Amino acid sequence: MRLLHNYHYAAAMLLFCLGLHTVIVRRNIIKKLIGLNIMETSVFFFYISLGYLEGGIAPIRTGGADPARMVNPIPQALILTGIVVAVSVTALALSMVILLYRQYGTLDVDRLMREEEPEAGESGKEG
Amino acid sequence: MKKVAALLFISALAVLLLFVVAGMPPMGDPGNPTVTHVIPRYLERAEEETHTVNVITGIILNYRGYDTMGEVTVIFCALAAVLAVLGRERRGVIHGFVDRSEVPASVIVKTMVRFIVPFIILFSVYTILHGETSPGGGFQGGAVIGGSMIIFTTIFGLYESSRRIPLKVRAPLEGAAVMGFFLVGSLGLVGGGNFLTYAWPRVAQGLHPSLVVWLTVLVEVGIGLGGAMVLTSILFAMIREEEEIAPAS
Repeated sequence: MRLLHNYHYAAAMLLFCLGLHTVIVRRNIIKKLIGLNIMETSVFFFYISLGYLEGGIAPIRTGGADPARMVNPIPQALILTGIVVAVSVTALALSMVILLYRQYGTLDVDRLMREEEPEAGESGKEG
Repeated sequence: MKKVAALLFISALAVLLLFVVAGMPPMGDPGNPTVTHVIPRYLERAEEETHTVNVITGIILNYRGYDTMGEVTVIFCALAAVLAVLGRERRGVIHGFVDRSEVPASVIVKTMVRFIVPFIILFSVYTILHGETSPGGGFQGGAVIGGSMIIFTTIFGLYESSRRIPLKVRAPLEGAAVMGFFLVGSLGLVGGGNFLTYAWPRVAQGLHPSLVVWLTVLVEVGIGLGGAMVLTSILFAMIREEEEIAPAS
């Protein structure tokens, strides 16, 4: 019964598993990054749900709003940090993906791993 | 085989996590540990201690100022890393695939984008400046400006877009968030308080509390401008094409 009441948490966990599945199974690097972002989003969702209060209001003290009824402001402040870090990670990863594509012409992880070996051997001979 | 193993692993993880969820306290209950300990103090005293009506802005910029300053540094470092990987554009030779596309955007799309982008930027200015009294703040407003730049660049191409925000304007403003935060934080040291104390004891005692609000708004504006410029620079670095890699048609 607790599981049905906490369906926000359960949805966040399922979303996390979905993102992890995408990261593991997909061979396209861009899709792996999308999976990573789904995982991040599920964690944000989980945190924001943790701060919810039944019948709560936004934590803005205008018009004599009752502080006892306000939702928890800490997860919202923390998740702002999390979002910025997620954006930074995604930007850096995407720029590396751009370089990979320029170098190898493919985004498939398996083909990238296969094509890496002869390339490394050639550069070894030259060096 | 690999896919079956992955599916089994994910299923096991999902079952484990759902067991944890079933053991967690009910969501939204006022007696939860997440809303009992330090939260009531924040909610009751934030207005008099940080002089911001929005408790979240007070927590971000004042109670957890160090955290936010590190966060601003993180996004600045992300820009530095992206530029180290992809390289900064040189002036005058910048173009992306939109500029060389054989099918240009239609008149309707161009007119709509030209019409709507000023309103998006106006909204983001509102979001930044009202961050301490309403939902919003520097990060959100900066992200909205970055989004408007993405729309503009996608339709009009990189050349037009980089003429609107040239490199010599963008480059100094990228550090605005870190610099603004550091300078306002240092004012607390000068006034005899700690780093990042807005209401420093010796100087601000006799002053109006709105000074603290203005300092908060200053930090928000710095974060907004810096965030917007960082996002724009990352976008330009990503969408830019090298001449030798993609020869012009």
